[in-house]
Amino acid sequence: MTDAKLLRDMFQAIAILIDEATFKLTPDNIQLRAMDPSRVAMIDFLWPKTIFDEYECDQPQKMCVNITEFLKLLRRTAKDEIIELTLNPETARLQISITGHYTRTFNMPTLEPQEEETPTPKITFKATAKTTTEGLRQAIEDAQLVSDHVRIEVDTEKLTLNATGDLMGATITLKKNSDALLDLQTQEPSKATFSLSYLAEIIKAASATSEIATLQFANDMPIQIDFHQPKEGKLTFYLAPRIEVE
Amino acid sequence: MRVIADLHIHSRFSRATSKRIDIQEISRFAEIKGLNLIGTGDFTHPKWMKELQKDLIEGPNAGLFKYAKTDNSVNFMITGEVCTVFTFRGETKKIHNLILTNSLETASQINGRLARYGDLSIDGRPVLEMTAPHLVEEIMAVSSENEVIPAHVWTPWFSVFGAFSGFDRIEDCYQDMTKHIHALETGLSSDPLMNWRLSALDGFALVSNSDSHSCWPWRIGREANVFNLAQFRYDEILDTIRKKDPQRFKFTIETSPAYGKYHWTGHRNCSVSMPPQKAITFNSICPICRRKLTKGVEQRLVELANRPAGYKPQNAIGYKHLLPLSEIIATVLGASSPSMRNVWRIFNNLISQFGNEYKVLINASLEEMSKVVNPEIAEAIVRVREGNIKVIPGYDGVYGQLRLFEEEKTSAGINEVPQCSLTDFM
Repeated sequence: MTDAKLLRDMFQAIAILIDEATFKLTPDNIQLRAMDPSRVAMIDFLWPKTIFDEYECDQPQKMCVNITEFLKLLRRTAKDEIIELTLNPETARLQISITGHYTRTFNMPTLEPQEEETPTPKITFKATAKTTTEGLRQAIEDAQLVSDHVRIEVDTEKLTLNATGDLMGATITLKKNSDALLDLQTQEPSKATFSLSYLAEIIKAASATSEIATLQFANDMPIQIDFHQPKEGKLTFYLAPRIEVE
Repeated sequence: MRVIADLHIHSRFSRATSKRIDIQEISRFAEIKGLNLIGTGDFTHPKWMKELQKDLIEGPNAGLFKYAKTDNSVNFMITGEVCTVFTFRGETKKIHNLILTNSLETASQINGRLARYGDLSIDGRPVLEMTAPHLVEEIMAVSSENEVIPAHVWTPWFSVFGAFSGFDRIEDCYQDMTKHIHALETGLSSDPLMNWRLSALDGFALVSNSDSHSCWPWRIGREANVFNLAQFRYDEILDTIRKKDPQRFKFTIETSPAYGKYHWTGHRNCSVSMPPQKAITFNSICPICRRKLTKGVEQRLVELANRPAGYKPQNAIGYKHLLPLSEIIATVLGASSPSMRNVWRIFNNLISQFGNEYKVLINASLEEMSKVVNPEIAEAIVRVREGNIKVIPGYDGVYGQLRLFEEEKTSAGINEVPQCSLTDFM
């Protein structure tokens, strides 16, 4: 692909949750669905082959890589450099060629793929909010100033973030059809509380890949955040709620 | 004769211990507690050994000692604890062992041997570069009347079943020297009921000691062993333990295992704690900081258990759950520490009325106690005796918290991690 930065940003978003990622490679796309080690958050990722300038995969297979090690190599890429990834199933090694003013080729071992399929959480969402990722990121950073968790509430007119710390509190309101909250569809008002460390890291990393996010809620249920991707790609995160202690 | 024995304490020469500990203080507070036998602790330390030689005299009970300057009822047994550090199948193992011996001469001989494996003067609980079976071999070579007891066998670090550097089987740790292991110290975070879930432990006597780092009555004797002996002698105590004789080994005194510092799995820095099933849900990773959780005794025990909860084997030695009187009083008063003056005042009233702490905890009636102290304190003592209390489980080095008057529905779940897992929604 000709945009190595896009690949780097996507892997940085993946690295927020997992160290070792088992990708499913099919003739049509590349997929990843995995939970973080503590099983509090999940990433559900898909890139169709059209994201790539060239994509060849004869038959479905799995590839597991150490994301941290892979990112070390990707960080060596500049914006417009071309990157080519080649998996050799026989040697179980991944070759990474980066071409700009000159070409460098790395190779790294792949790991034993995880065979277990990860299902997504079963949730009937009651509200959907479309936001700018920048607006969402700013709101989360505001909440982080006072607490390590945030209660997110939605009604028909607004999305509210309430953070309560030992000393200070914060209320951040995003009104429907504002610059930050582009749309809001509410079947019934919903609220749930989430860890800010997870939310902040996910939103910060995924914002690099997307300008629009769709959030889905239900009372005391996991939140689903879709970061819109070009060409029918998918980058979705799920985050389990905290238990409300009154 | 009834003997209440706490065989595992430490001197001021061990790390993180009170600097006030000496034989006089141990003797004084042991009597207040109601102990008539207590271990000296730390006989391997040269300076402590000198104090033992100076302050102890052979008592009327063979193999046991008395403090030379008092005629109280407290006897001393020469005891110590050592940490053996060794490699087993490529992994570093750190195992704590309690040692009992019946004379200062045999203690000196043991020290002569152990000094070859580590500097005994650095710590009252010395670190020795030798395997656990090698330790047993050395100790038994001095005298067949010596005994090695694996200490606090479930604590995450430094124990034979510990989650971080332990074994799954006693035999893997002690190898051919397992034949000399007759007893296991259950530690504060587990009780016999939990240990009975492992059939592999049926052959061992389960002993309980305080592993105290100070002389205060809320530390020494918080766990102990109760014997009924025809003769109060070292050899009879040893024989009772080795034979796991229910006629003579009557019961152990246990704190609620939840009171122990490593009962639940958790992470102190994040104030996160959870029972085994929840820890498994989180893959034993802290859901706040995403580092590895400190696996608690209950989770570790569940991993190795081959019997259902509540199982009681035949010929098992019984136990009583108690808690330190000072802790009970402090909890009722809402005092920040059991060492507060108002706690001591009530404590001393009860001791002067009933003789010692165990008599208050085990025998004193509600009516009698209510004449001396606030009836709420008297009721709390009875509730502890009857097991009618809640304890918010300890975790990752944090002691459990008493909830003396709360109903189950209000205390359940307190202090658990306030985080769901995604697996709860699949």
